Amino acid sequence: MIICQDIHKSYKAAHGRHEVLKGINLSVAKGERVALLGRNGAGKSTLIKQIGGVELPDSGRIIRCMTTSWPIGFNGGFQGSLTGYDNARFIARIYGRPYADMREFVEDFTELGGALKQEVKTYSSGMRARLAFALSLAIEFDCYLIDEVILVGDQNFQRKCQQELFENRADSAMIIISHDMNIISEYCSKGVILNNGVAEIHQTIQDAIDCYNAM
Amino acid sequence: MASLAKGWDIQMRVIKALMLRELTTRFGRENIGFLWIMAEPLLFAVLVALLWRAMKGPLEYGVDIVAFVISGYIPLVLFRSSVQRAVNSFTANGGLMYHRQINVIDLILVRFLIEFIGHMMAYLFIALVLGTLGFFPIPHDIGFLMLGWSYYAAFTFAVVLVVAPLSEMSDVFEKIVGVSTYLMIPFSGGFYLVGSLYPDAAAVVLWSPPVHGMEMMRYGIFGPSVDPQYDFLYPLLFIVPCMALGLVLCRNVRRHLVIE
Repeated sequence: MIICQDIHKSYKAAHGRHEVLKGINLSVAKGERVALLGRNGAGKSTLIKQIGGVELPDSGRIIRCMTTSWPIGFNGGFQGSLTGYDNARFIARIYGRPYADMREFVEDFTELGGALKQEVKTYSSGMRARLAFALSLAIEFDCYLIDEVILVGDQNFQRKCQQELFENRADSAMIIISHDMNIISEYCSKGVILNNGVAEIHQTIQDAIDCYNAM
Repeated sequence: MASLAKGWDIQMRVIKALMLRELTTRFGRENIGFLWIMAEPLLFAVLVALLWRAMKGPLEYGVDIVAFVISGYIPLVLFRSSVQRAVNSFTANGGLMYHRQINVIDLILVRFLIEFIGHMMAYLFIALVLGTLGFFPIPHDIGFLMLGWSYYAAFTFAVVLVVAPLSEMSDVFEKIVGVSTYLMIPFSGGFYLVGSLYPDAAAVVLWSPPVHGMEMMRYGIFGPSVDPQYDFLYPLLFIVPCMALGLVLCRNVRRHLVIE
């Protein structure tokens, strides 16, 4: 269970502060897949960063009763100045996993081959997405936070992602940011629309999508 | 108890991983790799010592001048490079905040530890080399030497804990910190013996905590002939509150840290 209680977050702006989240209340139960919908700049990534503990909210509480991944996206979670292998080594170390397993999974899942010996900053966004997914999927979490990376890359990679995430980890909870309504309606059980800094919770995903489209 | 032990395990794991990562990014795996960390302090200390030797002759305060300068200079270089490494260490490592088990204090501690280990290695190496050549005495009291180092290092770490968050809070501070580390030269105790200063000057420099650590090191190396002046308690009266302040500032900066 993850519970957000009255989360506020603001950033420094030209005049005073810009409040992005104005009191978010949200809960994610074990195994629940929640889609986070909203326009660009609505605060979806900001919210997912607070839930993942990357940034700390100005006020409010986040209670995590299950292990939560870091937000999986194009940046964050890995170091651009290190190679793919070095990143895998680092993640394996801080999460206390054997590197051999990690390496095997990453090689197998990313299919990046020799590129894993290059620095990550030379990667294309598709390659980054592959690495980001592989690193976080190699460690078992109760809840995965996915920030838009789900539908990048080629057909083959998309299929792999869907299989790993939704089939092999059918009982993992997820919070997914995506603008792809097909994926969302197929896999998510609940929808949250972020608008003007507050969260509107819809118990069925179809309801959420209809509301979002009507906005 | 079980959760405390688990927390300690995670802490050790994180520190180890961060150190290895920092070493790879800074020094790479090519040629001598991480041994580079002792190259800079070594070069600095040796060049300054040679300069003094050329200017002033073989002895200073009745002890070998090369040993005197090197044992005074390496700790100062440790202070200076630690402070420089601390500046903006949060923003530079912001990406690591994606992993909740990594704390901002870990980032500061790791950077400091790398400097500390590098400078200790340089110190040991040069003392051994000079010792075999007869320019460095066998320490009079190893325990005192290590105690002095501990005081000096604790002082450095306390300052670093305050500098790191302040450099994030103010751009002006970030710019002036480089210059201000030069002010440490007279207040590090590295280039004189307190016992040989005029009493007024000695009273002033003894306000500076690292001078006490330095005097302990001098005694540890050269023995009672250097007439060491130190206090065991006084440096702690600076170090402990300074560390506490640093922890509060770090916590505060972490709350408002914006991460891409």
